[in-house]
Amino acid sequence: MNSFPRNADFWSGLALAALGAYIVSDAWKWVYMGEDGPGAGFFPLWYGSLMMILSLALVAGTLLRKPTAARPPAIRWADLRRALTCWAAFVASIALMPVAGFAISFALLTWFIVAVMARRPQPVALGLAIGGAAAFHGIFVWALELSLPRGLLF
Amino acid sequence: MIHARMLRTAILSAAAVLAAGIAHADWQPTKPLEIIVHTGPGGGSDLLARAIANMMEKEKLVPVRIQVMNKPGGNGAVAAAAISEKNDDPHTLGLITSVWIANPLTTSEAKVTVHDLKPIAQLMLEPAVFAVRADSRYKTLKEFIDDARARPGQLKQSGGSVTSRDNIVRQTLQHATGAKWAFVSFPGGGERLAALLGGHVDIMVIEPQEAGEQVRAGKLRVLAQLSESRLPGYPDAPTLKEAGFDVRTTPQIRAVVAPPRMPADAAAYWEGRFDKLRQTASWKKYVLDNQLEESFLPGAGLSKSITEIERELREVFTQAGIKTVR
Amino acid sequence: MDILGGLLQGFQVALTTNNLLMCVIGVVLGTVIGVLPGLGPPATIAMLLPLTFRLEPTGTMIMLAGIDYCAKYGGSTTSILLNVPGESSSVVTCIDGYQMARKGRAGAALGMAAIASFIAGTFGVLALMLVAPPLARLSLAFSAPEYFALMVLGLTMVVLLAGESLVKALLSMLVGLWIAGMGTDLFTATSRFTFGRVELLGGIDFIIVAIGVFAVGEVLGNIEAAKPVEMLPVPKGLRNLLPTWDDMKRCRFAFVNGSVVGFLIGVLPGAGSTIASFMSYGIEKAVSRHPEEFGKGAIEGVAAPEGANNAETGGALVPLLTLGIPGSGTTAILLAALILWGFKPGPLFIQDSPALFWGLVASMYIGNVLLLVLNLPLVAVFAQLLKLPAYAMFPLILGVSIVGVYTAAGSMFQLGLLALFGLLGYAMRKLDFPTAPLVLGLVLGDAMERALRQSLMMSQGDPSILLRPIPSVLLLLAAVLLMVPLVRKFNAVRVKVLDREA
Repeated sequence: MNSFPRNADFWSGLALAALGAYIVSDAWKWVYMGEDGPGAGFFPLWYGSLMMILSLALVAGTLLRKPTAARPPAIRWADLRRALTCWAAFVASIALMPVAGFAISFALLTWFIVAVMARRPQPVALGLAIGGAAAFHGIFVWALELSLPRGLLF
Repeated sequence: MIHARMLRTAILSAAAVLAAGIAHADWQPTKPLEIIVHTGPGGGSDLLARAIANMMEKEKLVPVRIQVMNKPGGNGAVAAAAISEKNDDPHTLGLITSVWIANPLTTSEAKVTVHDLKPIAQLMLEPAVFAVRADSRYKTLKEFIDDARARPGQLKQSGGSVTSRDNIVRQTLQHATGAKWAFVSFPGGGERLAALLGGHVDIMVIEPQEAGEQVRAGKLRVLAQLSESRLPGYPDAPTLKEAGFDVRTTPQIRAVVAPPRMPADAAAYWEGRFDKLRQTASWKKYVLDNQLEESFLPGAGLSKSITEIERELREVFTQAGIKTVR
Repeated sequence: MDILGGLLQGFQVALTTNNLLMCVIGVVLGTVIGVLPGLGPPATIAMLLPLTFRLEPTGTMIMLAGIDYCAKYGGSTTSILLNVPGESSSVVTCIDGYQMARKGRAGAALGMAAIASFIAGTFGVLALMLVAPPLARLSLAFSAPEYFALMVLGLTMVVLLAGESLVKALLSMLVGLWIAGMGTDLFTATSRFTFGRVELLGGIDFIIVAIGVFAVGEVLGNIEAAKPVEMLPVPKGLRNLLPTWDDMKRCRFAFVNGSVVGFLIGVLPGAGSTIASFMSYGIEKAVSRHPEEFGKGAIEGVAAPEGANNAETGGALVPLLTLGIPGSGTTAILLAALILWGFKPGPLFIQDSPALFWGLVASMYIGNVLLLVLNLPLVAVFAQLLKLPAYAMFPLILGVSIVGVYTAAGSMFQLGLLALFGLLGYAMRKLDFPTAPLVLGLVLGDAMERALRQSLMMSQGDPSILLRPIPSVLLLLAAVLLMVPLVRKFNAVRVKVLDREA
């Protein structure tokens, strides 16, 4: 079984090589050198190619490197799940904002982080959620008259 | 008989017109007016919108507050989409410039164009001047163009993007005179001026206001002006036509548009307000101070103006080899 | 008018009750605006402009200038405490400032930001006063080829910002270049990498990427641990509440660096405080005796960029007040304001309106002192923010990020981008890709490409235009900087070899 860092670099290298290829393929469609100077495709072609070369070098490095004696830490899937759950909650909160407005969506996000992810008691979670949302709303919308995402209600 | 029928038709039509007139006169805004602009705070349209708001309030032309809403992005495409979304809201207007007409011609991402919006009124034109360094050897525009013809591609002009007025004027002149000179794009006005003052380029098209101070300090010389008639600030510089170049220069307009389905009475109301505004002393002072050109057209006239400008732009772009997507 | 006479007149103007009050308002307002992410000096000043029509011009200019340099300082607060850059010029401060906070030295970082801002800001005013006209003329010699060389110099900083893996740092920078290239190409009106979205026609706003990758990415990285301990240790004792004498000694060069680099870059029209802060940081790291500390909480890494972005305020006023050319977003608005008031900013400005010019200069001295006096005590107040437990900090940071992006950009689409870049930042952390080069590529990439194409347009395709005197010097400097880590490695190897032989 390949050690984790080797896997990580391997896959990220491949992903970046793919990105580089995409950049180059788009850049190919544009003008490389116009009559007034370099065209739109000039720079992307160069940095896309460089990206491909470097990322393939990264991949090659992982394949050629001798396996280290000490086993590097395996992926902690639990940690990854936690972080991605938090991210999903963040995205959901943003997606909710056109409907429910900033205050409610943010309160829900706060509650989720405090009650579900940090497993604090409900009063604390609700307190922080409502208090936080109120504070943001109060400072930015009332006091400073800036606009925050507005939902159907407020 | 026939006379009775005609009389009845006449009376009914008169009544209809009168009713419509009363309906027009009746509509008043009840909520604050929102003017959407495509620049961030401090940008050209933003400052104009705020000035309009100021003047309307000072001259007591509208009973409600006027707010400016910034929707920058996509060279006007984002703002256009925002206005279109307001559909039939009678309390939203937009401030457009020629960029709104030019941009959709070259970018396919713009889903809403100025044709989807309701024209209300054209307010003014933005003139510009051709300027060179004060110690330049060119005393007239003709000298510059002759030199450019003799040494194609050697002379340089600093300007904005390739679809900006600076380049459009250049393309038109090149086409008409057979001269050829290079164009170097700088995104900021300050940089363009710095490039000219530093001797890195030979000529530029610049707003009269920006040039004013430099001319007074003896750093710039104005060769010609891009305007219908001579601006009060530059009584000695010939217009392009007077200088011998009778070419159509696509005007830079500033105009007001509305959401596509704004009710007719609201649209007429706003058109009337802007007509009133341009007759006030504050407006005339504003135009004079900012070295703009008065050019009021009501909605129908604006519509024609836009179509004409678009046609000219398409022609120039095709000539210049700039790809048009619609 | 001789300088001393002018300055005396200036202080007379600046010390009137009205103008002093305006200065204080500017300082306070500026700091607050700086702390709030997303709200920056240009937007604020533009919004304040209509109010100022009724006020008197000198006082208003004093206030607006105060807002500008104090916002630059205020931006460091959230950078240090929350890893959320409050201003685009404070992004670099996140790198070492936040790490210092994690080590319990948030107070020292905040304090040093204030002190460096004061020193460099004062230098900026001094330079404005003494060398403005000749320097302005010199700055006109700077055009596209010179800018290109400057950007190349900036990008070689990547080499210095690289941690373990140079390849990863370069890849990170290239992704930054790619993001920078998104949008409509200025020269050919071609749309690049817009994925058909109209919101991407203007490119992606830098601050969205910075906040996403730095702040949101950091939250995601921290929330992994099931029982996160206190996120940031509260600074204990006076030693950690303010910089120590040791810190001040270490930062001696950083003060000079920040002042000079920030001012000079401010003078160049088009280059802004973000570039100034990056350059200054890079130079500091290059000449440091312990470069490996950078990125882990080196206090010079806070002093240099914070000084640079404050000195830039003074620098940006040089072309504005001596040539009538705006050098940055803020000065462009100030130019519009001056014209609206009936002033004539241009080469004759100082002659025509000495009261305004000297009054402004004098007030900036006063303002910088006020910045220090008002903010140092506040450091202790802000440090209390760190008493919040981690689970309360996370929503706070996420909320501040959302507000910051929305007030800067105004649309839900940008919030979606924020989430995307947050994920990117997290991924980069997990995969061990340094984030600073990405931001560097983003800031400089666009400018560099433009400068190169402008240069070649000017020279009809002849690349030798890049070998004019100034660009050659800068390119040489870049080459030298590239050599630095190699020389260091070489020296280290040499030492090892010598050791072994001994």
